[in-house]
Amino acid sequence: MKILIAEDDFTSRTMLAAVLAKLGYEVISTCNGEEAFDKFQKDDAPQLAVLDWEMQGLDGISLCRKLREQERKEPLYLILLTARGESEDIVKGLEAGADDYIAKPYDNAELQARINVGRRIIMLQNEMREREKFQGVLEMAGAVCHELNQPLQVVSGYSEMLLMGLKTGDPNYEKLETIKTGIDRIGELTHKIMKIARYQSKPYLKSKIIDIEQASRNEKKEIINE
Amino acid sequence: MNEKRILVVDDEPQIRNMYSQMFSTSGYEVTTADSAETALEIFKKELYWIIFLDLNLPGMNGIELCRQIRKQYPMAICYAVTGYVSLFELSDCREAGFEDYFTKPVNFSDLLDAAEHAFKKLERWKKKQ
Repeated sequence: MKILIAEDDFTSRTMLAAVLAKLGYEVISTCNGEEAFDKFQKDDAPQLAVLDWEMQGLDGISLCRKLREQERKEPLYLILLTARGESEDIVKGLEAGADDYIAKPYDNAELQARINVGRRIIMLQNEMREREKFQGVLEMAGAVCHELNQPLQVVSGYSEMLLMGLKTGDPNYEKLETIKTGIDRIGELTHKIMKIARYQSKPYLKSKIIDIEQASRNEKKEIINE
Repeated sequence: MNEKRILVVDDEPQIRNMYSQMFSTSGYEVTTADSAETALEIFKKELYWIIFLDLNLPGMNGIELCRQIRKQYPMAICYAVTGYVSLFELSDCREAGFEDYFTKPVNFSDLLDAAEHAFKKLERWKKKQ
């Protein structure tokens, strides 16, 4: 998991980065608030961060406030690091949008434990978001199938009836057959949409769309058939 | 039971018309109903042994309609023809007494096969009486 650190003191920053790297995190080191803020604007921004309160320019607490003001796609867990340890400082930090607070000098074990809490929460939030996305997909799939299949049935049925009344040699037979084939393809698609079992998307122009084929694949069945 | 009569229940008029045309060209006499309540009213006057019904009906849904029909007439054969069915509803279908289910769009030939199959069954049962 990625973790961002914002610390303007070289020694502190290096030590913190080393501790976190040893714990297995992918550390993104920044030396001031502005640099940290910019890192959070990217698509693959970290979701976990340890921010020093006392930094020149944009300090830790202002950075928290600025980040919380933004409408973000992904949840963020922010830990404030500071020498200030008074109760009112803690309140100020948490009210500004920090999720936790570690007082300097910090104990490595305590730092690790608090970061783990953050990691747990982020993973839970991510899981919930995936579930909500999937629920949304299912609800949309249901609506689409329900609405589309009705007129599809009408077109399919009348095409079939018309075909039954024509001979293969008839000039219109081929055109009608093409219409029926097209309708059958749409029917297969709606049936696949009904079987969507997971959230699976694919790139489409500058955005994403659901990958109906992959999302509706029943992996268990595939193994049995092999 | 000798007459080939079918009851179709669907709230979409275009689909009711389509069923009427399809089944009559194959020699069936078709009666249509736009809701479960209408279907039950029809049942008070005449019996139908083969019923095609959509699950998503206004008012009482198709699953409950099937349950009620089968309760009064256990010999009736019900087919579900529906636009969307969740896995949950599928098991409910069998429990409610549906012979089979089809998801729209369904080929008329499949529905015709189902009707033929049902009538053959009914003929066989009649002979055993």
